[in-house]
Amino acid sequence: MNRRFATLLAWMCCCGMSVAKENATDGDIDFASQVRPILSDACFACHGPDEESREADLRLDDPDSAAAVTQPGDASASELYARLIETDPELKMPPPDSGKTLDASQIDVLKRWIDQGAAFETHWAFVPPGRPEIPPVDRASWVKNPIDAFVARKLESEGFSPSPAADNRTLIRRLSLDLTGLPPEPDFVATWEKRLQEDGETAYQNLVSRLLQSSHYGEHWGRLWLDAARYADSDGYEKDKPREAWFYRDWVVDSFNDDRPYDDFIIRQIAGDLLPDATQADHVATGFLRNSMVNEEGGADPEQFRMEAMFDRMDAIGKSILGLTIQCAQCHTHKYDPIEQHEYYGMFAFLNNTHDAIVPVYTDAELERRQQVLRQIEEQERLIKQALPDWRVRMHRWAHEVASRAEPDWTTTELSFLDTALSGSKFQPQGDGSCLCQSYAPTNFKPQGTGTFHGKRLTGLQLELLTHPNLPRGGPGRSVDGTWALSELTADVALSDAPEQSTRIKFSRAVADRSPAVAELKPRYDNKKDQKRITGGIDFAIDGDETTAWTNEVDTPLSNISQTAWFEFDQPIEIPDGQHAIVTVHLAQRHGGWNSDDNQTFNIGRFRVSLTGEVIPEFVPLPQAVAALIRQAPDQWTPAEEATVFSHWRTTVAEAQPHNDAIEQAWKSHPRGTTQLTLARRDAPRATSLLARGDFLSPVKEVQPHVPALLHPLKANNERSSAEPKRLQFARWLASDESPTTARSIVNRIWQAYFGVGLVETSDDLGTQSAPPSHPELMDFLAVELIENHWSLKHLHRLIVSSATYRQSSNLTPELAQRDPYNRLLARGARFRVPAETVRDITLAAGGLLNRSVGGPSVYPPAPEFLFTPPVSYGPKIWDVAQDDQRYRRALYTFRFRSVPYPMLENFDALPGNLSCVRRSTSNTPMQALTSLNEPMFLECSIALAAKTLRQCDADEDGPAENRTVSDGRRIRFAFERCVGRAPSGAEQRVLSDYLMRQRERIDSNELSAESILSSGPLLDLDDLDATELAAWSLVCRVMLNLDETITRE
Amino acid sequence: MMNNLNRSRRWFLKDCGVGLGAIAAAQLMAEESGAASTADPLAVRQPHFPGKVKNVIFLFMAGAPSHLELFDYKPQLAKFDGTLPPAELLKGYRAAFIDPNSKLLGPKFKFARHGESGAEISEILPHTAKVADELTIVKSMTTDAFNHAPAQIMMNTGSQLFGKPSLGAWTLYGLGSESKDLPGFVVFSSGSKGPSGGNSNWGSGFLPTMYSGVQLRSVGDPVLYLSNPPGVDARAQRDALDAITALNQQHLALTGDPEIATRINSFEMAYRMQSSAPELMDIQSETQQTLDLYGADPDKPSFAKNCLLARRLVERGVRFVQLFHEAWDQHGNLVGGLKTNCKNTDQACAALIQDLKRRGMLEETLVIWGGEFGRTPMVQGGGNDGRDHHPNAFTMWLAGGGMKAGTTLGESDEFGFNVTRDRVHVRDLHATILNQLGFDHTRLSVKFQGLDQRLTGVEPARVVRELLA
Repeated sequence: MNRRFATLLAWMCCCGMSVAKENATDGDIDFASQVRPILSDACFACHGPDEESREADLRLDDPDSAAAVTQPGDASASELYARLIETDPELKMPPPDSGKTLDASQIDVLKRWIDQGAAFETHWAFVPPGRPEIPPVDRASWVKNPIDAFVARKLESEGFSPSPAADNRTLIRRLSLDLTGLPPEPDFVATWEKRLQEDGETAYQNLVSRLLQSSHYGEHWGRLWLDAARYADSDGYEKDKPREAWFYRDWVVDSFNDDRPYDDFIIRQIAGDLLPDATQADHVATGFLRNSMVNEEGGADPEQFRMEAMFDRMDAIGKSILGLTIQCAQCHTHKYDPIEQHEYYGMFAFLNNTHDAIVPVYTDAELERRQQVLRQIEEQERLIKQALPDWRVRMHRWAHEVASRAEPDWTTTELSFLDTALSGSKFQPQGDGSCLCQSYAPTNFKPQGTGTFHGKRLTGLQLELLTHPNLPRGGPGRSVDGTWALSELTADVALSDAPEQSTRIKFSRAVADRSPAVAELKPRYDNKKDQKRITGGIDFAIDGDETTAWTNEVDTPLSNISQTAWFEFDQPIEIPDGQHAIVTVHLAQRHGGWNSDDNQTFNIGRFRVSLTGEVIPEFVPLPQAVAALIRQAPDQWTPAEEATVFSHWRTTVAEAQPHNDAIEQAWKSHPRGTTQLTLARRDAPRATSLLARGDFLSPVKEVQPHVPALLHPLKANNERSSAEPKRLQFARWLASDESPTTARSIVNRIWQAYFGVGLVETSDDLGTQSAPPSHPELMDFLAVELIENHWSLKHLHRLIVSSATYRQSSNLTPELAQRDPYNRLLARGARFRVPAETVRDITLAAGGLLNRSVGGPSVYPPAPEFLFTPPVSYGPKIWDVAQDDQRYRRALYTFRFRSVPYPMLENFDALPGNLSCVRRSTSNTPMQALTSLNEPMFLECSIALAAKTLRQCDADEDGPAENRTVSDGRRIRFAFERCVGRAPSGAEQRVLSDYLMRQRERIDSNELSAESILSSGPLLDLDDLDATELAAWSLVCRVMLNLDETITRE
Repeated sequence: MMNNLNRSRRWFLKDCGVGLGAIAAAQLMAEESGAASTADPLAVRQPHFPGKVKNVIFLFMAGAPSHLELFDYKPQLAKFDGTLPPAELLKGYRAAFIDPNSKLLGPKFKFARHGESGAEISEILPHTAKVADELTIVKSMTTDAFNHAPAQIMMNTGSQLFGKPSLGAWTLYGLGSESKDLPGFVVFSSGSKGPSGGNSNWGSGFLPTMYSGVQLRSVGDPVLYLSNPPGVDARAQRDALDAITALNQQHLALTGDPEIATRINSFEMAYRMQSSAPELMDIQSETQQTLDLYGADPDKPSFAKNCLLARRLVERGVRFVQLFHEAWDQHGNLVGGLKTNCKNTDQACAALIQDLKRRGMLEETLVIWGGEFGRTPMVQGGGNDGRDHHPNAFTMWLAGGGMKAGTTLGESDEFGFNVTRDRVHVRDLHATILNQLGFDHTRLSVKFQGLDQRLTGVEPARVVRELLA
């Protein structure tokens, strides 16, 4: 392997050396491409932006500071150069113990840079892109658009010629795979091959348009963004519970299909919820930031893991939007890029004031249904008002009456928790006496909280169940529906003089604002014990029976409201003077399912306990929202507040009963919907601090929201933006036309997807440590094109695929292989194995099985059961294999458990979504071979392809007497085309027909069992076909699906 | 033209047996280590300096075993059983489950000194006690995390954050694989559940995926999709492979893409693995004496069987074997749980050392035993029978691989709460393991996202020379 290979590392090599070294021997030294990479790599760690690690007070990233050691025009008089050629290890730079060395050619670059004046330039990526001049080229006839001019210019300077264009069939398959991620059907290839031949460029443009309009375009390119967005369908960490986030996935797909401008795409993902008149989709978009992992293992500190999630969000924004590695600055000022630590936390501060919400979301059909329900309710309420013309007067009178009823004075008691269930659940005080239950949510436990009460006597206890944005559907429960079940409430009281002598309280009665009817538990809560458990009204909380529970679950959105219950002591507890009462409350919650590592909890999410010494009323507490309003004068109510009171008041009015019943009925037909993790605005601001070494327990100083000085300024000077919430301002800043890296970052990644490697190889990092761009002007041209075309990604795609550069043949000549093995000069088209998801999609499509429906919940294609069973997985997981055509959905829709990635996809380098990634590795391993040879779905597709081949070719047969060799040949061609998009050569045809013959013989002679072979296609209807023949063809199709070419984009 | 293509094909097959991405990896490695360049990223490579160790077997006791019941005997803890810990000890201390100000809980088992080294070992580890003189016990381990998933990721990748390469991946990346027909980094899982950190515990992070651990099962197909599909016998599989190879070669001649040559090789290795993996798993071929030594039943999955398989893997040139036994999270049922766990693991751990030794393999194999953190000296739960997570001090042991046998390093305080002497951070352990493999941990690095990323991270780490023979 020669040195040139070594300097052109394609794989994840961020060393900025390749191009620099190539150019090092001639002419002027270029600071950006040649000098800075050396300084950055070898010197900045100690002589760079980071103040804490800076040595000798010298900065080589700063011209003023560097002037102390450089003598412009004279390297030999410069201290910098002297230290580089020093032999004394004490003085030599870089110091030997740094692990860094500079070779002679690198030292020579620095010498000549100083000799040529030691001029500094700002790193290219921090200067906003400008539209470059399109260079004149000799090969003008080859140029189809400006991309080609930039490429040809470079090729000419290196003495290369472009490769000829690929043939039309190859181009059709290439375009189809690149734009939609799906292989073209053979008749599509035939049709377009003809059109391309006849209409040339016009047909080509039509083909591109056609593919860009396909709804599969959004699926394919959305998948790429979902890697950057670290999308997954589960929480990660130990429990790795399933979560619902597919609305976000579909939002991404839809956005690409709609060609949502990229700046708008970013803004909505960071702050869609804060836009004026934000729609459901705008809230869903913020799922981008909520894709962080969630740790609910026992004992996990919720604040620690909230901070981990915040760091993850910052990392995701850095990699996916800014194209910068900002996470270094989490712990210290960046050593290479001038991002200071306070600037990292300045950006952090924009994002910190959020709730991690889980909100209900509805499909279009469900939204329609929901509107219908709300209209029905509105109509019924209108009818009540019509029937009772004096309703308002009566309601005001009622409000006055209930407001003047005597209610006890409740004193909230702050509880401290001893977790006797050893669950490691966390009860976070909310500052209002309430506790939010976080972290682990066991399905069967009985936490005990202790508080004090100062007064003369104790007669009753109030329990409030409160909503909170962090709870599923707002709570107040922790179940996936936001519901809870209280199996039993018990309390012990002791007096402060004898704290060990506690008395169990007997409750004489309990009242609640709502008591649902008795109901069986949902299957989700099956505890696998032979024990009948039921839920119902408040009495179940004090009946001494833990198999019965009070619940809020009413299977409508009305479950998700705050509630109140009062518990009366059988005997008042008298508290002698000078003492106080110590009250211990036990909240038995034993109505969850058997598996605490899954979504089977039925616990309370937020609650507050209060105590009183006054008389507990006979009446039922009002709903909390109504209770708050009736304390105000009715004429102060807003229309919405009046409606709230009305909706309760009507339930107290006998004449309204039929309408109330109708309303109840209407609520029952409200759609359940799905949930989505979103951001929600947090009213009480959270202070952000700079954290020493990124440790959340070591705040150093408070930081206000601000952006890094090296990037473009945040302009909040116009009226609109300054009034906007901070996070929205930040979102607009990220997606600004003036951002030097945002547009470059996305165009580079799109280029990477087409050519296997980006114009800047380190697509996650355009900072000073990045590899220099192979074609800097081309990069800027594409970035400016994107911005000036309203950030239309489809415009960019069309531009790229229309270029002659894109259309080149990907065949590799020995000369190209020697001189440019990684194709950085673009003298040929790219050839690479398609991404994991496309491997699956190609296989399904070839077999004619692919289910092309777009969107919806994630699906469970076949996978080995043991993967989801301990001790392979941490907890038992549900993988309910689809027994219908859902198993043939595109791989994009395969359910993604972070801790148990789908094995076929994992083996082909799909990512688990634990963190943001904009560059997958592409491996080529024996595990892949085992997968494509033996995985059941590959076999199912082989059989399906064989069946399709036999049926289709039999139907096409010319006459009854067609000779077998001829018909075999036709069949081979048919199946082969479905796999690779072209006809087989004579030699290929021979290999396949020989193989067919041998398998046929072995099956005929019962050496191989046709029945066994076909058992891999359990869902396929194969009755009309001859089993022997089908089995032989299935083996042939298996060979075709295993070809390198089948899973390669040529 | 034909000539050209043939030449290119020959050139590729000869020089580029693996794809270009792979070449880049190998080349980078060669640059880092100064070793001769080689095209195969899994080819055996020379480390920075001659290493003492060729293979590693990491017995990962997931869930975190109690150092106080197994290796770190604290008579003072017995004495102060039932009293509150000194306040100064708890300053700034966070516990996962308990109120840190909980009563101290004395050790639950008897300890005795064993072997010439006089190592103090619990009565529930009778077999380990017998090999005491082979062990290098570290009583002064400390880590940064006290929740399972982050701490396991810390122990296995050097960072609490997901996405970094694991110790096994670094080892494979650094040294390559001696085995041509088995994965170079193999993982087994036993116990009651999978490890909390999931498969990130053996992931390749930002290294190419070929360096990640491959999880094998001790029952059924050892490797996922290893068996031929129903109805496909060995000859049919070979036939299929021959057809695939013939077609791939024709296309290679046409396109000249060396990735096709790599794919041809991958299919051949997959085919070899189909026979070598079942052979590996067939422990019936071991003598009854060996089976008894481990206490392994060939028909049942067990930690013992996995230990025996670990030896067989190392014998076949597999570089890194990691056994996860997730069972040690004794928040409650401390006594019963530990007894069960020791019964399930003690004999096999000792047997592994004895077996490696008698085969002359122990010198070149480093065996590591330990979990992600320790347990609190304070009690958890009302029954005086549980301990919470504790990161400040815990015990691990190493054996073979150039370690100083029959040594105990480090001390914790009288309650086993903090390390008081010869602190060994997880990073120091990593630096030491790499050193034994022949690597300077500061130089075994990969550029990723602008940083020289390494297993030991950016904080200082030291090779614990006191542990070395």
